[in-house]
Amino acid sequence: MSEDLYKIVYCSRNTTETGPEEFWRILAVSRGNNARDSLTGALLFSNGSFAQVLEGPLAALERTFERIQCDPRHAGVTVLQFGPIESRTFPDWSMAEAATMSVTADGAAAEALDMLRQLVGREAEWAMAG
Amino acid sequence: MRQALCALSRAPVRTLRRQRAGLLVSADDLTGLADRRTFRESLAAALAEGAPAVVMVDLDRFKPVNDSLGHPIGDALLCVVAQRLRSAVREEDVVARLGGDEFAVLLRQGATAERLAERIIDLLSRPYLIEGHLVTISASVGVAIGPRDGANAVTLIRNADLALLDAKASGRRTVRMFRAALCERARARVSTEAELRRAIALQQLELHYQPQINLETDRLVGFEALVCWRHPERGLVPPGDFIPLAEEIGYIVPLGEWVLRTACREAAGWAGGLTVAVNVSALQLEDGDRLLRTVAEALEASGLPGSRLEVEITESALARNEGHAARVLHALHAMGVRVSMDDFGTGYSSLSQLRSFPFDKLKLDRSFVSNLSESHEAAALVRAIASLGASLGMTTTAEGVETDEQAGLIRANGYTDMQGYLISRPVQAGDVPALIRRLGCQGVAREDLEEK
Repeated sequence: MSEDLYKIVYCSRNTTETGPEEFWRILAVSRGNNARDSLTGALLFSNGSFAQVLEGPLAALERTFERIQCDPRHAGVTVLQFGPIESRTFPDWSMAEAATMSVTADGAAAEALDMLRQLVGREAEWAMAG
Repeated sequence: MRQALCALSRAPVRTLRRQRAGLLVSADDLTGLADRRTFRESLAAALAEGAPAVVMVDLDRFKPVNDSLGHPIGDALLCVVAQRLRSAVREEDVVARLGGDEFAVLLRQGATAERLAERIIDLLSRPYLIEGHLVTISASVGVAIGPRDGANAVTLIRNADLALLDAKASGRRTVRMFRAALCERARARVSTEAELRRAIALQQLELHYQPQINLETDRLVGFEALVCWRHPERGLVPPGDFIPLAEEIGYIVPLGEWVLRTACREAAGWAGGLTVAVNVSALQLEDGDRLLRTVAEALEASGLPGSRLEVEITESALARNEGHAARVLHALHAMGVRVSMDDFGTGYSSLSQLRSFPFDKLKLDRSFVSNLSESHEAAALVRAIASLGASLGMTTTAEGVETDEQAGLIRANGYTDMQGYLISRPVQAGDVPALIRRLGCQGVAREDLEEK
């Protein structure tokens, strides 16, 4: 059961003065953790919001999501998708940085990145739900 | 996944052990948090040293999660809640599970309690992933700060509980600070509760009767019985002021039985075969066999024919008992008793419910009548409900009719009966015969009534 692949897509609002430096630090830490836990995905930070795709074994995914939940640097967490998947969308990325990845992505990954970009652009809509 | 959760939940046990090294400490088995006894002892110690706060936390909508996803998922959720609480406080603070889905935080720096309470609500209301399920709950929080709100542990915990009840009552997902008025309210409630439990024995309850007339003949068809409380100090207390409390404390069952017996006895003496309508609560409906027995005994003791008794049930009572309610209502029918749906239009009834329950009557809720002349939508609904009742062969009664204009609209929209201040307020049992003579009843000439 815990080896089943799951995927989650969520958004949240930045609650601190996260500058580019802080963002790269978050990314570096999450890449380290994710590599260890066989998680992959993509993170987009824009417009004061985070949007993330996270995929991997269920137990590790739930543990990581719970750690993210307790992080005081964001609020208004809204889950847009959660469920089992057949295969990974970002098999080669422990955590892709979505803003600079557009050139190299194709297929499912490009679609997922597009969705993240649309999400952070429509913060007002999903923040209402959370 | 269960293993992962348990591994994570060991952290609080360690913290607790460190905090209370050398002392006998009891912990909650599921979450590893402190239990009630440890919490109380820690609080007593903290009160001796400073000004700690008790932050009482209760999960909103936990029960539906437990019911729909099962207890193992519910337990796993409680473990994650425990971790989130632990993550929100300092090492020196104590987090306890007091039971069920109730948690408490002992905050050594009491002054920061309100801010922490807001953070707890935010944290616990974030989504949870539990064994492949996405779960959302929220939390209500009550805060009491010592020694101002309570100088000893027991009082401070009780007052934080009162603040929590206030938070729950004011719509959940909110924090409430303790204030002295909550204490008085609780005291008043406790004494009202005790007095109410004695009301039947002290013969302080009495039935008042509000007439219902047929719109075609303008004659009486029956009365609705309303229970009032003749309180020695407060005077006559209307049902709306004590029935909700009676429901909450379960006293509605004996009270409802008293109403049934009394209404049948008093109505048996009325002229002209008039009906008496009695409200039956959700709790009474739940114990259907007892209700049926009470009705049968009340009819037998009074000699009132079943056809002159009408049982009124609200939509929400039905919604709670859908499973066996139909069986009970059919059994009432078999005794000749009429069944009506009360406050129609305010609850959750669906059209299919109207088909599966054997209703004889729909009572249109008073809120529709009072909005009738102001809103087009209300008027359209009032019309639709009348034709719905007519096509299902039910009597339709409009409640709360107060003006001639409303009566005209109700009549024009095809209702069969009405009830309200326009005809008469509820009257005492002793005044019923005079009212019957004044209004005249269906099928009996006024002169015949005069002779009685």
